[in-house]
Amino acid sequence: MNTPIYLKIDLSTGKSEKYIVSEEYFQKYLGGKTLACKLLLDMTEAGIDPLSPEAMIIINTGPMNNTGAPSSSRFNLSFKNVLTGGIASSNCGGQFGVMLKRAGYDGLILTGKANKPSVIEIVDGEFFLKDGKDLWGLDMEETQQRLPKHYGKLVIGPAGENLVKYASAGSGERMAGRCGAGAVLGSKNIKAVIAYGTRRAEIFEKEKFQRHIRRWVKLLRDHPMTGESLPKYGTAGLLNKANATFSLPTHNFKVGHSSKANYVSGETLAKTRLIRNSGCISCPIRCERRVKHKGKEIKGPEFETLGFFGPNIDSADLDAIINLNYICDLLGMDTISVAASIAFAMELKDKGIMDFGLSFGDPSTLEDALYKIANREGIYSDIADGTKAMSEKYGGEEFAMHSKGLELASYEPRRSVGMGLGYATSNRGGCHLNGGYLALLESVGVLSVDPQSPKSKAELTVLMQNVLEAVSSAGFCLFTAQAHIPKLFFKLGPYHPITRMTNRILKHSGGLIRLLLKSLSLMKFNSMLLFPHAEAVRLVTGIPMYTGSFIILGERSFNLERLYNLREGLAAKDDSLPDRLTKTPQIEGEMDTVVPLDTMLPQYYKVRGWDENGVPREKTIKRLGIE
Amino acid sequence: MQNMGSKLRSTYRINDKCTGCTVCARLCPVYAISGERKKQHHINEMRCVSCGVCGRICTFGAIADEKGNPCTRIPRSQWLKPVIDIDLCTGCGICVEICSAGALSLSDPKFQGDIEIKAQLSEQKKCVDCKLCEVQCPMEAIKMKLPEEIL
Repeated sequence: MNTPIYLKIDLSTGKSEKYIVSEEYFQKYLGGKTLACKLLLDMTEAGIDPLSPEAMIIINTGPMNNTGAPSSSRFNLSFKNVLTGGIASSNCGGQFGVMLKRAGYDGLILTGKANKPSVIEIVDGEFFLKDGKDLWGLDMEETQQRLPKHYGKLVIGPAGENLVKYASAGSGERMAGRCGAGAVLGSKNIKAVIAYGTRRAEIFEKEKFQRHIRRWVKLLRDHPMTGESLPKYGTAGLLNKANATFSLPTHNFKVGHSSKANYVSGETLAKTRLIRNSGCISCPIRCERRVKHKGKEIKGPEFETLGFFGPNIDSADLDAIINLNYICDLLGMDTISVAASIAFAMELKDKGIMDFGLSFGDPSTLEDALYKIANREGIYSDIADGTKAMSEKYGGEEFAMHSKGLELASYEPRRSVGMGLGYATSNRGGCHLNGGYLALLESVGVLSVDPQSPKSKAELTVLMQNVLEAVSSAGFCLFTAQAHIPKLFFKLGPYHPITRMTNRILKHSGGLIRLLLKSLSLMKFNSMLLFPHAEAVRLVTGIPMYTGSFIILGERSFNLERLYNLREGLAAKDDSLPDRLTKTPQIEGEMDTVVPLDTMLPQYYKVRGWDENGVPREKTIKRLGIE
Repeated sequence: MQNMGSKLRSTYRINDKCTGCTVCARLCPVYAISGERKKQHHINEMRCVSCGVCGRICTFGAIADEKGNPCTRIPRSQWLKPVIDIDLCTGCGICVEICSAGALSLSDPKFQGDIEIKAQLSEQKKCVDCKLCEVQCPMEAIKMKLPEEIL
């Protein structure tokens, strides 16, 4: 079996050595965020500062990268979370991942700190540490233009250099936004990592794999979600849907519906601004928006950015959003975290606590503010520290919209309570994807499993979290998992009796899902309709991967990250949501429009096999083999 | 692994007939050739993928192949060109990403939300017949053919 080869680089000394992943690790943790988390647990001490030289950042791919499998060009960055102090994994679809793999490595492990601004260059297995002084201070676009054209590039912007806590790292126009990957690279004096090579992916069963891919691509293209909605409207297509179900954060999560949302929806974007749709390498879904901005073709905003620079700050100016999105990408900042921090700053002003010169409904001051945040000028330096740090300094914890320190994404969980449970339990903090993305089954998808009821939500969350973890660790885009919602429901529509009946069945499916989770090891089969991912992994690597063992891989991954968080001092008390979501009803007087987190959490711990303090039980750890 | 850690592997070499005209360095699809203008150039054997582009373009007979035989110049009109079987192509774009000559591209979506995209040889003149696309295509949808074979 060909196991992954990583390159371990000590930036302080400039020395590098190969690290060959053992067969045991490869079979158990596969790659991507899961393997990276295991390596972080093995190789780092507890309690280090995420921005210190001892901190470690792992940039890696999954086994599917460069094989031509659908949506598999993604790469992952894992490190100690700058915002939460727990685990962080950030995922990006740029060309860097493919190039790194062609250059001969499945991953890079970086420790130490370069003594001056530097560029890491990997060419056909060789490693060079080059001077990056000329690039320091440049924005992301210019940095990439100055580097040799044929390389795959991963760069940071000024925000990363200035250690803005939510600084992103980017490749091309795609960003690894969340958790502060840019700040970690900036703290190590690394402006860019570039890779070039011509190595080809090795495939265990080539002919079968080709057949499998062809069928899978067809399936994705025929599906109403991945073949029609996403290519047509991008992720932005979810905005109107979220607005209609009152789950679109508005006025810093005060309410869940904005009358002006249609001005910034995916449909409006497609009608008035879109040039064409595009996408990552080897992706048939093509959800990327290309729009014109100041005479240049650039990447258009995603759902999260539209929601947060739109309704969440009471604005409906689509051109302003496109511009702000572009500036965030130039400076290298996560649009979710920066926009959420800005909304918090606006509410601080509203409440008369602190005036940052930012107010709701006025996006005109934001361009200037973004530059000041990225450069940490004056009081704007506080915004660069994120919502949690601001609320600790100025107060206002009840409306500081974060969990564990990471800002929540653009789904209002009071009308999608399962999503709320996901936010609270997600290992990297308030993240919708890490949290199981139950919004898809509750508020923004075709199904709508009673969004107000906590019934079965713990079980559904656990199942979805495990699935998404597994898809991630193989190196696939999470959107490939959306094709599992049967086409039938899209054909019938959300109000058809069959769809409604399915919603009711799912609402009472808790016991069934618990049984399913217990009998995963018996599911030794692969099905195109269930998980084409597992079969693809089997055909590429030769690891006996089946539907059951694939989901168990996700469970192992989630528990592993939990163990990392526990080691770093996070505990059950951090599985929380701000009071605005758990105590204040979205609609005044209707007490069921809050997130009943206290009811769901104990059940969630039980389904996970954790004790009441949220610690995985001995039995669970043993079963997953992660001691 | 194609070309890693095998320093003993024989690759293309440049001999002293080289005049340093830089044509091969500009054409090399994997950026393996370096050297100063008007001085003998050098092939980095770690990076060379033995595609033979340098041998086909060199007018001075300065390049020898893996076995040490001197390469002969072939007119550009007789270089092979990639032919993409669009029934096999899944539009993954791996060939486009490896093509350093910029000859390949993905077809533009024909309407909003079109996803039936395919790889295409959009800049035929730029193709240097390095065969990297043929080697890299995960679906084996690309075959190199002589210009007269292409209808």
